[in-house]
Amino acid sequence: MTDTTDNPQTGEANAAPVSRFNRFDNPWFNPKLLWGAGILLVIILGGIIGRMVWDTDLVFTGSTPLKLPPLGFENLRRQEGVAEFPLGTDGAGRDMLAMLIIGTPNTLMIGAIASIIGMSLGIFLGFSAGFVGGRVDDTIRVLSDVMITIPPLLILVVFQSAFGDVSLVMMAFLIAGFMWQSPTRLIRAQVLSMKRSGYVQMAQLSGASTFHIMFKEMLPNLIPYLFGSFIANVTTAIVTAVGLEVLGLGPQRIPTLGRVIYDAINSGALIQNLWWWWGLPTMLLATMFIALLLINLGLDEVSNPRLRKI
Amino acid sequence: MTKHVLELTDLSIDFPTARGVVHAVTKLSLKIRPGIRVGFIGESGSGKTTTALSVMRMLGGSGRVASGAIQLGETDMLALSEEEMRLTRLSRVSYIPQGAMNSLNPIMRIENQIWDGIIAHEGKTDAAELKRRSDACLESVGLPARTGRLYPHELSGGMKQRVCIALGVSLNPELIIADEPTSALDVVTQRHVMQTLKDVQARIGSGLILIGHDMGLMAQSVDELAVLKDGVLVEHGSVQQILEAPEHPYTKQLISSVPLVGGESFLDDEVGAAPVKRGKEGVPLLEFKAVSKIYGDVTALHPMSFALDGEKPKIISIVGQSGSGKSTMGSLMLGFNPPSAGQVLFEGEDIAKHSAAERLEFRKSVQAVFQDPYACFNPFYRVDHALKFPYKRFGLAQSEAEVAAKMLEACEAVGLDGQLILRRFPHELSGGQRQRLIVARALMLEPKLLIADEPVSMVDASLRATILKNIYDLKDRYGISILYITHDLATAYHVSDYVMVLYHGHVVEAGPPKQVIGDPQHPYTQMLIEAIPWPDLGRDWGHADEAEDAARLAEIARSTETVIRGEVPGFVLS
Repeated sequence: MTDTTDNPQTGEANAAPVSRFNRFDNPWFNPKLLWGAGILLVIILGGIIGRMVWDTDLVFTGSTPLKLPPLGFENLRRQEGVAEFPLGTDGAGRDMLAMLIIGTPNTLMIGAIASIIGMSLGIFLGFSAGFVGGRVDDTIRVLSDVMITIPPLLILVVFQSAFGDVSLVMMAFLIAGFMWQSPTRLIRAQVLSMKRSGYVQMAQLSGASTFHIMFKEMLPNLIPYLFGSFIANVTTAIVTAVGLEVLGLGPQRIPTLGRVIYDAINSGALIQNLWWWWGLPTMLLATMFIALLLINLGLDEVSNPRLRKI
Repeated sequence: MTKHVLELTDLSIDFPTARGVVHAVTKLSLKIRPGIRVGFIGESGSGKTTTALSVMRMLGGSGRVASGAIQLGETDMLALSEEEMRLTRLSRVSYIPQGAMNSLNPIMRIENQIWDGIIAHEGKTDAAELKRRSDACLESVGLPARTGRLYPHELSGGMKQRVCIALGVSLNPELIIADEPTSALDVVTQRHVMQTLKDVQARIGSGLILIGHDMGLMAQSVDELAVLKDGVLVEHGSVQQILEAPEHPYTKQLISSVPLVGGESFLDDEVGAAPVKRGKEGVPLLEFKAVSKIYGDVTALHPMSFALDGEKPKIISIVGQSGSGKSTMGSLMLGFNPPSAGQVLFEGEDIAKHSAAERLEFRKSVQAVFQDPYACFNPFYRVDHALKFPYKRFGLAQSEAEVAAKMLEACEAVGLDGQLILRRFPHELSGGQRQRLIVARALMLEPKLLIADEPVSMVDASLRATILKNIYDLKDRYGISILYITHDLATAYHVSDYVMVLYHGHVVEAGPPKQVIGDPQHPYTQMLIEAIPWPDLGRDWGHADEAEDAARLAEIARSTETVIRGEVPGFVLS
């Protein structure tokens, strides 16, 4: 406990850590955020580059031999994987690689669109509730509280089955209907606390318009929260979308990861030991969630400096 | 056998952070004898609380004792195991925290919280015995035994602080550490609580460390003073010796920065060129017409009327304790809050009925300096945003270069180097620097009226005088009338031309400061002035009887008459 280094020396020793830690001074460059963003970028780039170099027509039924294993494996019929279809093929003769190349971005897109719409609604409603107050606040608050208690999957199942075959964007819109409640509450709370803060009063004294106060004074301080909330929403939206697709309620003609899993389950891929059919999309989804989680944790550190490690 | 209750030898405390190690305390040596009260005085960040917490081994975060020794009686505190340390806390050394409001468990009765401490140290104890001890404990701090059955929210601030003292002394510790125990209380209650603390400490004969920043309070409550600056003990001696013959320049500065009622003024009376006449002819600058404000069933402000004309700039002080309605007046004047009844007129126009263009003109004419300099800057922008934005918004800017020059000039006027400071982010500046920037902002906009709501209550003592001086200069040099809202009678005495003392939304006494504060007539003003702790040993704080004071306050609250002690031209209170 009693360390007896004399002071000048400790002073010297301190100089080194300062420079070593400097690169973490910018909170946006924290390792979690970088890793998460990196993994996500690889998945997205895979989708883009894949479309350029791989034949995407292989996603159609019967374009390949059935139930071929990935390269280097054998299926129950002792068929070896071939380089032509490196990740194998499914029970309807579709190339797995092509399906993943098309399906992964589609799944991410549903998540992103649903989340963007939900967030925009949330920002608008949250600011209105927090800033205007009174009746408007009561209405918005009650509405979002009620909506939070309704399980989205239940309603979506009814909707989807009523609509029959839906497009990707349509599905994203339906999911977005359940994505705005929590950002609304979050932003409303932040706006309420910020409204009383000194700098907002200062801005009022400076004759700032309501628009200026909302978007120039308050919104910039909310950016880390908004990002965090956006990423969390993307995750939730993807989970919801995949859930619906696995139930067979997603788009029927467009490959998505959930759709691939649905087909695999329906064709008895588990019994036939066709593990690549359901395993590869599941693994991709898991990687995606880990990436999103890492981004979210990283953003948490950005918005809350107390979580930053030394 | 040592005769010291606490011995600190060459104590150094470090906080490793991402930006390198911060030396919070360096080579501090101090001895405290039993039964003696020692005051730790210094600015925020000077290491007072850190030193005290290190004795409890309760340093927050990554803080650690880098070197030195802490000896409590015969025990080496740094050598104790976690469990031994747990048993030492409270039974041998106890800590009375700053915010008693937040230190008590809101869902436990007071007596249960006292029992918790006893059981944690002495194991299972008979219920009747516990009850007897908690009652004795509460009675020792002047609270009735039935307080034990109450929950914290049922107590007033002063009572909660006393409960904290009761908790601290429940096991008769050798050393009590009281960390600014009265900072959240108003002066009258402060005096009662300090007396309780002194009495209890004298009875159990323990040592006491009182942490604080108020020289007056220290002078009235402790025997020895330790002056800390930047983690270094710069001076230590008896109160008398330090007050009468301070050696270190920092101590001298601390003592001289305390404004005294009737004492020497910290302002220089050199008056510059006569200020330009501002405001419209014939109409008062600001007028209250029977303005009152009611929140729910609480009347924050009883109907009040006054008129302030802008002919000759003046500083009007509004003095009162928390809850007296003084900040409500401020927000009414700024138009942040509509009055419940009556009208607030600015240059003859009702500010509640302004059109958008008029409102902008009004904003330009009436500016404010708020209490909390930490909250006044948007953390997202560099600090120049706060100066530049209103200047442009009010259409005062001619060009970017002109704005920049104007900002530098304003910074210089408040004693800041604009080149160095304007491009920084708010968290890179100290509270004092920020508050001065806010004054610079007001100066740049040249309003006709400035509302200063407790502008120095959150700033370190040594900077208070400088900032008040800056504000005072606004009046003479730029012709700005100022409403100074404060709880501090001493500063009001020096800066103002007219003082209003507020109690429960009534003006109880008003007039020029020499009369109102120098020679108070109203019992409430008298009580406030009596309760100010003086940094002067010759002047005794006296012994206040609490019950008597409460009766006096109730009496004052009933009567609503105003003692008017004289007039100044240009301000009419009716």
